[in-house]
Amino acid sequence: MNSSRVKKSRKTIVIYGAGAIGRGYIPWVFSPDKYELVFVERNDTLRGALQSAGSYTTYKTAEGKYESMRVPVKHCFAPGEEKNILKKASAVVTAVGPRNILSIAEPLRGTRIPIICCENDPTTAEILRTETKNPLTVFAVPDVITSNSASAEILKEDPLGIITEDGHCIIDERAKAVGGHATYVSATELKKQWMAKLYLHNTPHCIAAYLGSFLGATYVHETMAVGKARAVVEGAMREMQQTLLIISDLDKKFVEWYAEKELQRFANGLLFDPVSRVAREPFRKLAPTERLLGAAQLCLSAGVYPENMLQGIVAAFLYDNPNDPDANIRYLVRSLELQDFLRIVMGLDTDEALQKLLVRNWKKNVAYLKSLS
Amino acid sequence: MTDFKKHLHTALCAAVAAGNVLREHSQDAYHLKRRSKESLRDIVTEVDKYAEDVAIEKIRAFDDSPVLAEESGASKKIDMNGTYWVIDPLDGTVNFLHNIPLYAVSIAYIESGVPRVGVIYNPALNELYYAAEGLGAYKNHSRISVGTRPREEALCAISFSGASFGNRAAEFETFQKLNDATAGCLRTGSAALNLAYLAEGKFDVSIGQNNRLWDVAAGFVIARLAGAVVDYSLTNPKKHLLHHRASHPHLVDFVDSVLGK
Repeated sequence: MNSSRVKKSRKTIVIYGAGAIGRGYIPWVFSPDKYELVFVERNDTLRGALQSAGSYTTYKTAEGKYESMRVPVKHCFAPGEEKNILKKASAVVTAVGPRNILSIAEPLRGTRIPIICCENDPTTAEILRTETKNPLTVFAVPDVITSNSASAEILKEDPLGIITEDGHCIIDERAKAVGGHATYVSATELKKQWMAKLYLHNTPHCIAAYLGSFLGATYVHETMAVGKARAVVEGAMREMQQTLLIISDLDKKFVEWYAEKELQRFANGLLFDPVSRVAREPFRKLAPTERLLGAAQLCLSAGVYPENMLQGIVAAFLYDNPNDPDANIRYLVRSLELQDFLRIVMGLDTDEALQKLLVRNWKKNVAYLKSLS
Repeated sequence: MTDFKKHLHTALCAAVAAGNVLREHSQDAYHLKRRSKESLRDIVTEVDKYAEDVAIEKIRAFDDSPVLAEESGASKKIDMNGTYWVIDPLDGTVNFLHNIPLYAVSIAYIESGVPRVGVIYNPALNELYYAAEGLGAYKNHSRISVGTRPREEALCAISFSGASFGNRAAEFETFQKLNDATAGCLRTGSAALNLAYLAEGKFDVSIGQNNRLWDVAAGFVIARLAGAVVDYSLTNPKKHLLHHRASHPHLVDFVDSVLGK
């Protein structure tokens, strides 16, 4: 088969967001050999860099080594410029972050191609489905950690270089026609995978990041190398495992396997997974149904005392990154009495068990965090 | 440029502390002793005074700039073009007394006559609005910005003075014009919340006639930093009275046409 025929048969996939997942991981799922990947990126600097470079390298860690892939970038559009390419596209992948999902809805309105939402929040698929009126808008669980950066050596060779794990992309079977190196599953199986990811990956992962910020760590694996911090992450993982086994029908072996896999991932020194990326937007992670307060409430409802999770929550409250979109969190914690902060800002009423536990253990937990650095 | 973080910290502490006083007394509000000031709607209770004392105490712990406060006056002689704090411990007293959850503490920091920091806290609904020059405008944990509805869908709010300093007939005429040319015009009973709701995009226009400075100063900062165009003029400096008009930018011409430029 000659190359022009190969090109002709390639499906076009429009990827919204050229960050960690979009640029780093998606090309391993939808290989540039078989798919023409087109990016839509709102960050002017990143978009300009991708356009002028014309390609970049994504590295996959597997068995302690890197495998690399050069990804051609024929087009990287600013939002609003992609309307024509959408007409010939076979699918859309979104990886823009849950808070930005509405901003990409307009050009997708009325499309009839699969839209795969890799947004770490299943409600984003529902929102986008409603907004676009496209019934093929589905949720996907990219079971992978992808750094939005790389080691200094890699970045020296390619400033757009990026590292990802050898992950596993699990997609709602309604988008099966898209193909690629992915597993298409039923809604029930996807829900199970999401539950495991939310509580056995997202919860301890972000706790590791918030502890890392106290340690002055740049990458998550550096946190895991500190015994006292690792103990908290492992403790939070145990609390989540116990809870999931009580409240869900997840299989014990699956839960144990998943938890062990995750702890190894967090410690993977080849990933260069930035603390600032994983800890980003603490208010979103602290939302009532999310991975921190939501997870702790779940533990309490199952009769599991979330001692380590409380430690992680306090670390999130004290996250101090002036460049974060939620930089006001530290400010509010400092300005308001703890009970007022929890009630007004976090929506935890004074008579709730979780609020009482956070207040009662505040000094002890803060002292522990300070002892980390 | 001045760093207003410390002032915002002070205003947040003071507003929430005063709001907690209102919260504690909200259930028995109807039975509180009340005293009318300049009209039947201009009421003060002992809770107003207590909340104000708490707010002033919090501010004094951090800053010794003069304070202009609704109930006590605090520092009596204020240079309106100077640097000072403005406190309304309870904007929407009538709502508070009738157990309608539309009342708020309103605290602003004014530097060289310009409101720079504002906090509005409605303890009944757990709504904390705050803004500071250089930091943006927020409600609770989220950044806020004004809405973008067209005039036909816009919701307006108007606040009149407690006492009849102005021309009441003209005020009602303005109310009618706004009400008929948009999705409606409300009189919520709290000028501070009108501006906070404008900042959040719930309202699209806020107009005030002969409001007191303490009712609206914090709202001016919050609305402006959320993207609203805020225009105000003193009508009676001695009594700290002023008119204001505030809206998202594309409704400025409409507001001008209603009020006359």
